[in-house]
Amino acid sequence: MIADLVTIDAWVLAPVLAPALGALLVLVLDVLAPKARGSHLPLALIALGAGLGALPYAVTADSPARTLCLPAPQGRCLYEVEPWGLGLQLIILAGALIVLLMLGPGTRQLDDVQRGGPAVTVSLVLAATAGAAMLPATRDLPTWLVAIELATLPAIALVALSRGRGAEGGALSLLMVSLTSFALLAIGIALWVLATGDATFSADTVRAAVEDTDRHRVLLLSILFLLAGVGFKLSAVPFHTWTPQAFAVADEAISAYLATVSKAAALGGAIVLLSPLVVLTGAGSDDGFSIRLVIGVLALASMTLGNLVALRAEDPLRLLAWSTIAQAGWVLAPLAMLTSISVAAATGYLLVYAVGSLAVFAVAAAVHSGAEGAGERRLTAYAGLARRAPLLALVLGLGLLTLAGLPPAVVGVVAKVVALGPVVDAGLWWLVGAMIVNIVLGIAVYLRWLLVVIRPADPEAGLTRLRLDPGLRVAIALAGLAVVLLSVAPGLAFGLVR
Amino acid sequence: MGLILIALLLPGLVGATLILLSHRVGSRTAVGVALLATLGALTATVAAVATHARIDRPWAGEIGLGWIFESDMISAPLLVLTAGISVLVVLHGLRHAPTGGTPGLYYGLLLLIEFGALSTFWTRDLIVFFIAFEIVLVPMWVLIHRFGDDHDPAARRAAALRFVLYTALGSSIMLAGILAIVTQVGSSDMRAILAAPPQHSQMLIATLLVLGLGVKVPLWPVHSWLPPAHTIAPTAGSVLLAAILLKMGTYGLIRVPLTLTPDGFARIAPLLATLGVVGIIWGGLICLVERDLKRLIAYSSVAHMGFVALALGTNSELGLRAALIANLAHGVISALLFFVVGSLKERWGSVDLAVVRPALRETWPGLGFAVMVGLAASLGLPGLAGFWGEFLAIAAAWNPAGGGTALAVAQSQVSGGSWVVWAAEGAVSTELAFRGLAIVAALGAVLAAAYSLRVAKVIWMGDAAPRDRAGDLSWVELVIVAALILAILALGLFPYAVLPSASGPAVLS
Repeated sequence: MIADLVTIDAWVLAPVLAPALGALLVLVLDVLAPKARGSHLPLALIALGAGLGALPYAVTADSPARTLCLPAPQGRCLYEVEPWGLGLQLIILAGALIVLLMLGPGTRQLDDVQRGGPAVTVSLVLAATAGAAMLPATRDLPTWLVAIELATLPAIALVALSRGRGAEGGALSLLMVSLTSFALLAIGIALWVLATGDATFSADTVRAAVEDTDRHRVLLLSILFLLAGVGFKLSAVPFHTWTPQAFAVADEAISAYLATVSKAAALGGAIVLLSPLVVLTGAGSDDGFSIRLVIGVLALASMTLGNLVALRAEDPLRLLAWSTIAQAGWVLAPLAMLTSISVAAATGYLLVYAVGSLAVFAVAAAVHSGAEGAGERRLTAYAGLARRAPLLALVLGLGLLTLAGLPPAVVGVVAKVVALGPVVDAGLWWLVGAMIVNIVLGIAVYLRWLLVVIRPADPEAGLTRLRLDPGLRVAIALAGLAVVLLSVAPGLAFGLVR
Repeated sequence: MGLILIALLLPGLVGATLILLSHRVGSRTAVGVALLATLGALTATVAAVATHARIDRPWAGEIGLGWIFESDMISAPLLVLTAGISVLVVLHGLRHAPTGGTPGLYYGLLLLIEFGALSTFWTRDLIVFFIAFEIVLVPMWVLIHRFGDDHDPAARRAAALRFVLYTALGSSIMLAGILAIVTQVGSSDMRAILAAPPQHSQMLIATLLVLGLGVKVPLWPVHSWLPPAHTIAPTAGSVLLAAILLKMGTYGLIRVPLTLTPDGFARIAPLLATLGVVGIIWGGLICLVERDLKRLIAYSSVAHMGFVALALGTNSELGLRAALIANLAHGVISALLFFVVGSLKERWGSVDLAVVRPALRETWPGLGFAVMVGLAASLGLPGLAGFWGEFLAIAAAWNPAGGGTALAVAQSQVSGGSWVVWAAEGAVSTELAFRGLAIVAALGAVLAAAYSLRVAKVIWMGDAAPRDRAGDLSWVELVIVAALILAILALGLFPYAVLPSASGPAVLS
């Protein structure tokens, strides 16, 4: 019956279905066997692994891989995975996998940092991941909005359930921001439908709308609202205020989730929104210029403010929060050029950023778990790490250098090159100048941390043994290996997304 | 191709391994392994250069990067210089055990810097050139920060950070220029760019490239990272900075803006020459009054690199030759001076020229001789390495159109063409201004003589009563000093052995 209405290719949908089914299974298991607390995490890992395992199918299928297609003559597909979407799904699923590893595999550590029990935490992570994985593949406005909210609301719940002091406050601020963003998106979508008469992101209807003066104005207004709404999710300045608050209260694993998976989802949403607008950016088009200007200014403000505040941060998590704001600017800058190369550049940059961030967050989780007084997270806790735990220091160093864009983390350098390319190509020299300054500011931010790591430890302090759970060990090893592998063969990261 | 891989991977991999295992490796093992690695790299480099070995294969083909490594007469001397100086720097550690960290870390960092410099000089892919350019940053930062002068930790941290941030700013500006070329041409392979140079905004691109590379050279007024970094770095770090890292800047100027955006470069070349001359005078004047000998040598580097910039700024064939020889000469002379000053600092505790000390010629004649050779070469005594570069630079500025353009030589190198020197074209119209620059630069050479003689008078003659003569050059120092003095003599007597030209010295024709 349904098959007559739409085509369904379960393999193409698997990256979304697997975590969603996993979330359901975890909840069902919790009802049927409340004692089996230890089996939730492995189940979730299997679900994410299955999602990851299905990704190659979409690579070998026709590009872009499509499903949920309406019958001819309309024949439009509601689910399309282009190479950049595939790259984002990879980041999203792998990022969620590493976050879950950081929380497990035993339930002891999970109970230390999250309230509500493993079933709740795990199913929230999986649900948010399903929404995130859906987002880059959506092609119609309602599904797009639902996917954004599905990716966001469970993440807010995760922050609210953290055991950190002031978690409710952080979650409340995140919730308020999300509601605002939801309102903006809803208005934006309404205006979009008004302007184009179409509830899908289609270049054809956008072109038609541009030709009519009134509908053109409505469309521009709609784009402004939608961009603002997505800006919240990306934590770009001036929509960034929730980020430091949430990171300050949440556990490292949950912060890592917000910094990588949620950001990848937000980028997916932004690209889906911007893709049909390419028709606006023809030579001499005022609209293309305005959109570039708006996104470019957002990028400039994000990277500059983020780096400047991160320079002063003493709490490593606050530093990372501001650094993700700065990095959001780096993702937005190439995206502002609205070309297919710039989409690949933004996605490739995000991929590298996510790998580097996961390495840093994973080591941070290990170091902070060893610190006495969990509330006190200070950079000084890293003093002498290079001597105490050389391998941890190595992974942390590689992660920080990836974010800073310095060798030996070659992939970080290549990411900066790739992000700068489209902006230079478009000749936006004011933005190029800002990016150059921010390369230097970023180096100052991350070297400040690295400086502490290579500093000899104070004789009396820093002798606490680091307690590393097996899951965390695996997470650190995976993230470190990913940086090394991508540094030797950076083409892997960037070839995937174009 | 195997030779290049050995020359690059030996220092790279051994260096990384030493750092990773730095807590398990003893001092003797570390220095032994490092010495073997640098000697192996030197042998492989010389062999690769002699046999014109080359590598050309895709690396990250998805984004158009290639592993294209090839040497020519512009890069070959610098490759050998890098590999040779690296051996001496490691050798130096045999007597002066590093303080501030484990030996494994120290030698690992030295090897990584060698790896980065060799990659920079060898690659023919612009983006890979940028990446290689950045490789030296973190190792040098750690080297200055951990192993630098231990009198003042805050100053050490500041000097190390200033070095990184300044040079990263420079290379990021250079990256913008490189990307402007690459996005226009659609390839980062230098040969492809040479075949179809960028058509638009060459002026802007060349400005970005010269500005960015100028930080590394260093060009006045973006030189201010250099004195603290050189002064505070350990001896090995100062030597590597002066002899190799600065050369990456001038090499980049020749390889990228001069060759790939010739029209743009020709238009801003007079500015480059002017900044170079300002640097000559600026550095010379500071050297006249500077009290700290190590800092003085650092400022003299600014002056010497000013000569290189002036030579390049003439945009003539003679100027290019002057730049190449001055570049090499500064490499060996500054290495000798920093080694000797490091030895003096170790013996005296400081190298403050205001402290009255016994005459070096009486206490330690060996060290005294080395200092004198270094100073004499530095002031441009004929017969020593320093003479040719500065003499030819002034000559080139006096007669900027003299004998072909720099572009012809530099481009024939990249395209693998013959050594034919094309006839003079694009002669600089501002001939008179260049004559003025030549005169000022000549005055700068006089300043160099003045401060060199001042230093010689203070430390070689000395006023305090002589002490016992124990503690002159150890055998390690003797080997290092002898090797460098030989190189200085060789460059002074046979300068044309290292220059990309078959024609003789057509000076002042």
